[in-house]
Amino acid sequence: MRAGVFLCECGGNISGVINLEPLAAHVRGLDGVVEVNVNQFMCGTEGRAMIEKAVEERGLDHFVIASCSPRFQGPTFERIARELRLGENAVAFGNIREGCSYVHGHEPERAQEKAKKIVEGAVARLHHMSDLPRHRTFLNRSVLVVGGGIAGISAAEELAATGIEVHLVERQQSIGGSMARLSKTFPTEDCAMCSLAPRLTGTATNSRIHLHALSDVTAITGPPGEFNVTVRHRPRYVNEKCVGCGECAAVCPVTYPNDFDFGVSERTAVHRPFANAVPATFAIDRKGWSPCKTACPVHTSAHGYVALVAKGRYEEAWRVASEPNPFPSVCGRICTHVCESECTRGNVEDPIAIAGIKRFIADHGAPAELPAPLPVFYDEPIAIVGGGPAGLTAARELAQFGYKATVLEALPVAGGMLRVGIPEYRLPRDVLQGEVERITALGVELKTSQRCGTDFTVDSLFNDGYKAVFLATGLHQSKDLPIPGLDQKGVLRAVEFLRAQALSEQMTTGKRVVVVGGGDVAYDAGRTAFRCGAEEVTLACIEDERTAPASSEEIEEGKEEQVAVEYSLVPIEILGSNGAATGVKFQRCTLGEPNERGWRPPVPVEGEYVELFGDTVIFAVGQAIVDDFTAGADGVTVERGQIGVDPDTMMTGRSGVFAGGDAAAMGPWTAIEAIAAGRRGARAIHNFLRGEQLVPVWDAEADKVKIPHTELEPFEPQARRIMKTLDGVARRTTWEEVRLGFSEEDVRQEAERCLDCAVCSDCKSCVTACPADAIDFDQKAWDEEITVGAVILATGHQEFDATRKLPLGYGRFQNVLTQSQLARLLAASGPTAGELKRPSDGQVPKRIFMLQCVGSRDCTSSGNEHCSAICCLFATLHSSLIKQHYPDAEITIGYTDLRAPGKAHEEYYRLVQERGVRYVRGRVGEILEEQDGSLTVRMENTMTGSKSEEPYDLVVLSAGLEGSKGTQDIARVAGVQTAAAGFIREFHPKLAPVDTQRAGMFLCGTAQGPKNIPDSIAQAKAAAARAISMLSTGFAMTPAQVAASDLEVCIGCGVCEASCPQTAITLTVGADAHSVVDPNVCRGCGICAADCPTGAIQLGGFSDDEILAEATV
Amino acid sequence: MAGATSAAADRKIVAFCCRECAYAAADASANARTPLPPTVRLVLMPCTGRVSPLHLLSALAEGADGVMVAGCLLGQCHYREGNFNAVDRVAFVQRLLKSVGVEPERCQMFTMSAGEPPRFVAAVREMDRVIVGLPPLPRSEASGNREVPLAAARGAA
Repeated sequence: MRAGVFLCECGGNISGVINLEPLAAHVRGLDGVVEVNVNQFMCGTEGRAMIEKAVEERGLDHFVIASCSPRFQGPTFERIARELRLGENAVAFGNIREGCSYVHGHEPERAQEKAKKIVEGAVARLHHMSDLPRHRTFLNRSVLVVGGGIAGISAAEELAATGIEVHLVERQQSIGGSMARLSKTFPTEDCAMCSLAPRLTGTATNSRIHLHALSDVTAITGPPGEFNVTVRHRPRYVNEKCVGCGECAAVCPVTYPNDFDFGVSERTAVHRPFANAVPATFAIDRKGWSPCKTACPVHTSAHGYVALVAKGRYEEAWRVASEPNPFPSVCGRICTHVCESECTRGNVEDPIAIAGIKRFIADHGAPAELPAPLPVFYDEPIAIVGGGPAGLTAARELAQFGYKATVLEALPVAGGMLRVGIPEYRLPRDVLQGEVERITALGVELKTSQRCGTDFTVDSLFNDGYKAVFLATGLHQSKDLPIPGLDQKGVLRAVEFLRAQALSEQMTTGKRVVVVGGGDVAYDAGRTAFRCGAEEVTLACIEDERTAPASSEEIEEGKEEQVAVEYSLVPIEILGSNGAATGVKFQRCTLGEPNERGWRPPVPVEGEYVELFGDTVIFAVGQAIVDDFTAGADGVTVERGQIGVDPDTMMTGRSGVFAGGDAAAMGPWTAIEAIAAGRRGARAIHNFLRGEQLVPVWDAEADKVKIPHTELEPFEPQARRIMKTLDGVARRTTWEEVRLGFSEEDVRQEAERCLDCAVCSDCKSCVTACPADAIDFDQKAWDEEITVGAVILATGHQEFDATRKLPLGYGRFQNVLTQSQLARLLAASGPTAGELKRPSDGQVPKRIFMLQCVGSRDCTSSGNEHCSAICCLFATLHSSLIKQHYPDAEITIGYTDLRAPGKAHEEYYRLVQERGVRYVRGRVGEILEEQDGSLTVRMENTMTGSKSEEPYDLVVLSAGLEGSKGTQDIARVAGVQTAAAGFIREFHPKLAPVDTQRAGMFLCGTAQGPKNIPDSIAQAKAAAARAISMLSTGFAMTPAQVAASDLEVCIGCGVCEASCPQTAITLTVGADAHSVVDPNVCRGCGICAADCPTGAIQLGGFSDDEILAEATV
Repeated sequence: MAGATSAAADRKIVAFCCRECAYAAADASANARTPLPPTVRLVLMPCTGRVSPLHLLSALAEGADGVMVAGCLLGQCHYREGNFNAVDRVAFVQRLLKSVGVEPERCQMFTMSAGEPPRFVAAVREMDRVIVGLPPLPRSEASGNREVPLAAARGAA
C-alpha cells in the first residue's frame, strides 16, 4: 500500500486547536504512509491539485483526508478518488473538525492527542480497504408525485413538460390541496381559486400526467431508478359517467361536517368538495356498511331509512326498509332488533330506536296501492311449503327473480307464527295481512289449508310440474317435559294455546294461571291468558333474573301488566285433584356450566321446593318440528328436530328440495332470521335452476365497518324517545295494540340522533336520482402496481389542532375559529358566499380579535417550537379583506413578533396597518365565553406589561402548520425520516434542500416545512429539476456500499435472508446453497453483515476488518 | 496508578454512530461548538444494525474502556429496523460482560433523532461519567490485550 495523508487546516477551524505540523510528523511514521501534506482548504481547488499531484508523483493507491465530518465533504473526496482512477473505497476519513477541534477547543492538549489517534485509525482502516464493484442500472423515465396540492401539481407540470410520464397520487377526491381552500392570497389579494383552477384543469388534461385521486401510496420498493409503487385506489362509488350535475347530492339524506370547509358547514355523503374540483365527478364518502346494517340478518340499510326519516321522506324510507324485507311493519313491531344492539350511539347512551322508526315508516310511509304483478320470465314453477315469514319472503324473492311461486299453507290463514304465534295485541292482524297481500299482489299464489304429507307430498309437487320446493314449515308444536300430571284438565301447551286463540278468538283460561317458561312465548301465553279471562298470571322459569331469555320489551310490558315471575325453578310435577290441575310443584335450581352449545342446564338445589297454585298451567318450554311432511319426501331428513340442509346451498338431501326458517334454522328462531332464510332459499333455488352461481346465497359482509364513536365528530348526548303504550293493567282485557307508535315529531327527533357513523347510509336515493346512471355501489378498493424512476413527495401540511390549547376555547366556544375556517367564510365560493357571519347567531361580527402563534413558537408540550412562517401575513390578509368589506370592523391582532420577510410583505403589512387594523404585541392568558356567545380576551401587553380584558364578537386563532397526516404516512411508506412537527427531513438543510435521505426521492412544499405559495412552487420546480437530472441519462450506477457474500465462506444458513429489511438477499437452492445479494435492491444498512455467523457477508466500505481497524486504534 | 485526572484523560470510549441520526446529531452539536469529553471516539456506521457484538467486544478487548452505540429513535430507523437489532445486540453484550465479571454499563445503547444534538451530547457525557467513574479495564501483560473472552464474540452474531 502506498498511502497519502492530507491534513486540512480548514482555514483555522482545525489548525486553531490542533497543531498540524507535529501531527504530520507523527503520521509520516505510520506503516504504509508515503506522503503527508497540509493545506488550508483540502476541499478547494488547491487541495484537489495537491491530491492529484501526490497520486501522480508518489504513486498513491489510497489516501486519508483528515478534515471535517465525512458526512459533509466525504462525497467530494470520494469523487476525486474515482476521477483519479483509484476506484471505489480508496479514501478513509479522519474527522478532526466536528470530531475533535470543534468540540475539544477547551482542552487543546487532549485534542492534539486525540487527533493523532483519529488519523491513525483512518490509516489503519486503509490497510483493509479494497476496490468495490458497481453495476450499471436502468432508470425508468417516469416520476411518482405524491400529493396534488400546488406543490405537487407544479412539479408534475414541470416534469411532464420535459416528456417524463408522471403519476400524480392524491389522497383526497380532488387535487388542489390547501390552496383550494383559501379565499385570497397575500400580498396581492388575488383570488386563490382563480389562479389555481386553470392549473387544476391543465393537470387533469395533460396527457403525460396520470391522475390518481382518492388514492394512497401503500408501498414503495426496489432501487432508485426503478421503484415499484403500489397505489391503492379507494372506491368513489361514482363512475366516469358522472356529469357533475349534483342531482345525487340534492337527494342525499345524510348531513356530515364538511371537512373541506374545516367544519364550518355541512355536506352530504355524496359530494364534491368545491365547484372546480378535479376530477369533477362526485364521490360518495362511504366507510362501509353501518353497524346496524351489518347486524341485521337481512342487512336492511337501517341507517338509510333512519336518515330519510330525519328528512321527513317516509315513503322513500319505506322502500329502503322493504327492499330486503317484505315485512317492515312486522319487524317494526316484534323484531329482536340486533341493529339497535350494534348502534354506535349505543356505545355511549341508549341506541337509536330503530325498530320504532321502522314501524312509523311502515305505518305512514307505505304506499296506499298494492304493487302490480311482476312478469314471469322463467317457466319453472316453484312450490313453497309453509306460508310463514320464511316461505312468504322466499316467494317474493322468487317472484322478483321472475319465477311463478306458489305458497302452500297448512293453516287456513297465511303468516305462520306471525299470525298464530304472536298475539294480536303485539302484532295486529290487519298489519300482517297488509304485508301478505303486498306479496300475493306480485303474482305469488297462496293456497291455504294445504298440509304437506296429508293434502299433498313433495313427490306429488314434482309430479305436478314444480321444479323446486322450499320447505319452510316452522316449529308448530310445543315441547313437553317428562314430568307427571301432564294429562290433567287445565294443562295447556303454549304454541297450541296461542294458535287456537289466534284462529278461534275464543279461548278461556282459569282465574289463576301458571306459565312454565321464561321466554317470549311464555310471556305471550301469559299475557294472552289475561285476555282470556285470567286474573293472576305467574311465570316460572329455570333461569335467574339476569339470564332470563325473554326480550326486554316483553319483560317490561309483562311487568306493566303485572305478570308475576318466579326465577330459578325447575318443574317436577303438576299438582292436581280429580283429574284437574291445581298447580305446579317446582324445585329450586341454579344454572350449571354451559355445554358446548352455550346452554346452561339447571342444577336442582336439594330439599328446596316451591308450589305455585293455579287452575290453568301453560307449558312454554320450547317448540318442536311437526315432521309429517317427510312422508313422500325421500331424501329429506330431520335430525335433532331440524331439517338437514347444506348451509352453502340451502338444499336438503334431495335434489331440488330446499329448506329454511325455524324448521331448518342456522341462527336463532326469530322472524328476521326466518326472513333472511327465505331470501337465501330463493337465491339458492334461482342458482339451482339456472345452473350457476348467479347471486350469492349468503350476503357478503366484506364492507362491514365498526367505527368507534371516539373517531366521530363530538356529539351531544340526547335521550332516546320513549314510545307510548296503553295503560298496563287496563289493557289486559283488550286485544288493542299495546304499543302506540311514535308521533311524527318524536320519530324525526329520534332519527336525528343517528350519528351517520359510516357517513353514507346506503339508502341508494342517489342511484334513483342520478340521470347518468353513474352511481356504482359495487366498486371496491383495488391496488395498481406502477414503476417509476423517481419519487417527489409533496404531501403538505395540516393546521395545528387548536383544541390542544384549552384556555383559548377552540372547539368549546362557537365563535372561536381558526384562520383556515375564516378563509372558508371569506371565500366567495365558501359556505356563506364570502359573507362574514359568526357561527353562534349568523351576525356580522364588529369587534374581531386575531391571536398569532397558536401552537407555533411554543416550547410547551402542547405546541411546536418552530415559526410557521405564514401566519402573520395570513392574519394580515384576512384583516385587510374584512376591513375592506366591513369598514366598521374593529380588528386587533395580538402577535408575538410580527414577521413579514419576503418580497412586498413588509409593504403589505404597513398598508394594512394604515387601513386601520390594530396590532398589539401580547400574549393571551385565556378566552372566556359570555352568555350571548361573545368572548372576553384576557391578554398581557408585552410592550407595556399591562394586563387587559377586552370584549370581542369573534376570535380567530392563527394556528400554525404541522406536517400533514399524509406526510406522516408517506414518510413511513417511503422510508424517509420526519423531524420535529412531522415535516419530512431533507438530506441537507442547505446543500440538498429538496433531496431526502433516500436516493431518487425528492421533497417539496409544506411537507418539508412551513412556507408560502411561491416558495412551495419554487421548491416544487427544484424537486422536478432534481428528478429530471437524475433520470436524464437513462442509466445510473449501483452504489458501492452494498452487501456481498463470499461463496467460499457462506454456509447457506439463511440468517441474512431473514434479517434483510429490503428482501435484497436470496438463498440459492441445492447442496451448496449460499446467499446472493441483489445490489439494485440492497440499501447498504449492513444488518445482514452483523447477523452473519461466519463473516461471509460483508458490507462494502464497512467490513468487519475496516471497522475494527479504526475502532481498536 | 495515575491520579484521577490523568486516569480520566487515558480513558477511551468508542461511539459507533449511525450516519443518519447520531452522527448527524454529533455534527450538529459540533457545529454549535458544544464541548464534549475527549474520551469519546466516533466511528461512523451506516446504521446501528451494522454493529455486531464482535465490534463491541473487540473494541473493549483492544483498548476501549467503554463502547456506546448511538442510533435513530426506535421506529425512525432509516432502514426500518436496524436500531432494534442494535438494542438486542447491546443487551446481549451486556449479559456477556456481566457473566465474565465486567461491568455491563461499559456497553450502552442510545437513540436520538438527527435534530436532537443535545441528546447526543447528553449521551456522550453520560457515558463519560460512567466510564470515568469505573477503573480502567485490566490489561493483559503479555499481549497488551484486555482480558475479555473474544471467542464468543464471533459466534454471538
